[in-house]
Amino acid sequence: MFRHTFLRYAVLALLAAAALLRALTAGYFGLEILAEILILAILVLALDMVAGFGGMVSLCHGALMGLGAYAYGVLCVHAGLAPLPALAGAIALTGAVAWAIGAICARAHGIFFIMATLAFGQMAYSWVFETPLLGGDDGLGGIPRPDLSLLGIDLSDSRSFVLFCLAATALAYGAAVLVLRSGLGRSLGGVMHNEQRMRALGLTVWRVKADVFGLSGMLAGLAGALAAMQVMYISPGLLAWTTSGEALVVVILGGLGTLVGPLVGAAAFVTLKHGLSGVTSHWHLVVGLILIAVVMSRANGLFGWLEARWGARLDRRLADATREDTPREATNDA
Amino acid sequence: MLETRDLTKSFGAMQVTRGVSLRLERGERRVILGPNGAGKTTLFNLLAGELAPDSGAVLLAGEDITALPVARRARRGLSRSYQKNTLFDGLSVEENLGLAAAVHCGQGMRLWGDSLARPEVREIVAEVAEMVQLVPHLHARVSEVSYGVRRQLEVGVALATRPSVLLMDEPTSGVGPEMARGFHRLLADLPRSLTLLIIEHDMDLAFDVADTITVLNYGEVVFDGLPEAARGSRLLQEIYMGDWSDA
Ligand SMILES: Nc1ncnc2c1ncn2[C@@H]1O[C@H](COP(=O)(O)OP(=O)(O)O)[C@@H](O)[C@H]1O
Ligand SMILES: [Mg+2]
Repeated sequence: MFRHTFLRYAVLALLAAAALLRALTAGYFGLEILAEILILAILVLALDMVAGFGGMVSLCHGALMGLGAYAYGVLCVHAGLAPLPALAGAIALTGAVAWAIGAICARAHGIFFIMATLAFGQMAYSWVFETPLLGGDDGLGGIPRPDLSLLGIDLSDSRSFVLFCLAATALAYGAAVLVLRSGLGRSLGGVMHNEQRMRALGLTVWRVKADVFGLSGMLAGLAGALAAMQVMYISPGLLAWTTSGEALVVVILGGLGTLVGPLVGAAAFVTLKHGLSGVTSHWHLVVGLILIAVVMSRANGLFGWLEARWGARLDRRLADATREDTPREATNDA
Repeated sequence: MLETRDLTKSFGAMQVTRGVSLRLERGERRVILGPNGAGKTTLFNLLAGELAPDSGAVLLAGEDITALPVARRARRGLSRSYQKNTLFDGLSVEENLGLAAAVHCGQGMRLWGDSLARPEVREIVAEVAEMVQLVPHLHARVSEVSYGVRRQLEVGVALATRPSVLLMDEPTSGVGPEMARGFHRLLADLPRSLTLLIIEHDMDLAFDVADTITVLNYGEVVFDGLPEAARGSRLLQEIYMGDWSDA
C-alpha cells in the first residue's frame, strides 16, 4: 500500500511548483518539453502502479498508451465524436484491453509475465500497422484537441495545453494514490508479498491483478490520448516496445513503488534527453550509464536513495515536534 | 464437518499420502501427530487445495470440495496457518489481521476507501487480537515483534477470516516449551464451534488440546482415536520414541 511521507509531500510540492512555474513562463520549446514530461509522468505512474506495487513488470504499457492514442484519434476522426467523449472512450477502451491482458497474464510470474505482456504489446503493434483504418505505416493525422472555450480556455495555445496536461497529471496521481490506498490496493500489496497466503485467505488473486492492471491501463490510455493531442498526429511507432522499455527505465531510475520517484524520473529523463541530444547524439549512452550507476548503487532509484537517506529522519523529526508534550524519557525508561 | 476419503498423493515415486480417511465432527479438536516427513504438511496442502490429490476426495460440511481452488475453499470457511510464517513483514500486526479480515468481509476488491477502516473489519481485528493475545502488539510492525508473537499472529491471520474449520500446521514450532504451553491454553479458549485440526510435533503438548488424535507415519494413518488410547499404544511409542521419552 502507498503511504505519503513528509519527504514525498515535499518533493511532490517542489515538482508541482516547478512545473507550474515552467508552464507559466517557458517559451514554445520549453512548453513542448514540459508537455512531454507530463505525458511520460502519467505513463510511468501507470507502470509504477502495477510494477512497483504489484510486482507486475509490464512491457506493454507503451502499447497501451499507443492504443489510447489511436482510440482517441479514431473516435474523433472516424466516429466524429467530440474530443472529450472520445477521451473518455479512449480511457475506457484502453482500460478494458488492459484488464483482459492482466487477467490472462495473472498466472504468470517474473520473466514469464514480462514476456507475456511483451507479446501482447507486439501483437497490438503489428495489428496497428496492418489496419488501414488506423493509417498503417502513415499514422493518423488531424487529431483535434478538446474544446474548452466554454471555460474560456483555448487548448490550441501551447501554454493552455500544458496546463491542461498538468491538471491531467495531478488527477492521474490522485487516482493512483486512491487506488493504492483502497481495499484493492491493500490486497495488491498482500499479493505482491505473498500470493499464496492471500489465496488461502479467500482472495481471488487474478481478479485483483486484472483490476489493477485495468485501472493502470486507463491511465496509460489517458497518457496516449494526451500524446495524440499534443502533436495532433499518431505514429504507430508509439506502440513499439521501446516505449515500454523507456518507461520502465524511468520508473527504475526514479524509484520503483514510490509514485513520486517515477515523477522525478520522468522529469530527469526528458530533461536529460533534450539537454544531451543538443550536445551529443549518444545521449542514450549517458542515460544507460546513469541507469547502471543507479542500479549498481543498490538504491531504489534517485528518489529511493533520497528516501533511504532522509525519509525516516524527517518523519521522526516531524513526529517528535508534534509530540513535544509527551516526555520521551518515559518511554526510554521502560 | 471435514472429511477425507482415501486420499493419496505421490511426489514422483515417493508416496507421501497413503489412503488417508479422516472424519472430523463439528467442533472437534483433533491433533495430528507424526514424525518429520510423515506427510502431515502435505495432508494440509491437500485439504486446503494447494495440492491436488492423485485420488480420493475432500469434503467440507458434507460437500465434495476436491475440485475447488484454494480461494473458494477459504471462502467456504476452511482456513489454515503455515508451519513457516507467511506474514506480511512490512505491515503492522493490526494490518496483517486487517488484510485477512478485509478479504473475509468482501472488502478486498473495494475501490473506494481503505478496507481496514471499515467497522466490520475493525471488529474482527479487535476480536481476533483478543483471542490470540495480540492486543499489546497491534501497532508494532511484524519485524519488531518476537518470534513467538509472530507465531501467534500466523494463527491470528488465519482466524481473521472467521473460519468454521481451522487447520494449524505446528503452531508452536520453534517457540520454547513455556510459551508453547501458553499458546495451547489460548487454543483451548477458542470458540467451541470452531473445528480444529492441529499438527503438533510435541506429543506431550498434543494432549493439552486434543479431543481426538490421529497419528501419521509414512503417509499412513496408524492411529485414530482418543488421547487416552494413544498414550497406551505400543505402536505409537515405537514410532514416537524420542518425543515420548522427553515428555
Ligand atoms: N512439493 C514437494 N515435492 C516433493 N517432495 C515433497 C514435497 N512436499 C513434501 N515432500 C516430501 O514429502 C514428505 C512429507 O513431507 P511433509 O508433508 O512436509 O512432512 P511433515 O509435515 O509430516 O514433516 C517429505 O519426505 C518431503 O520431502
Ligand atoms: Mg510439516
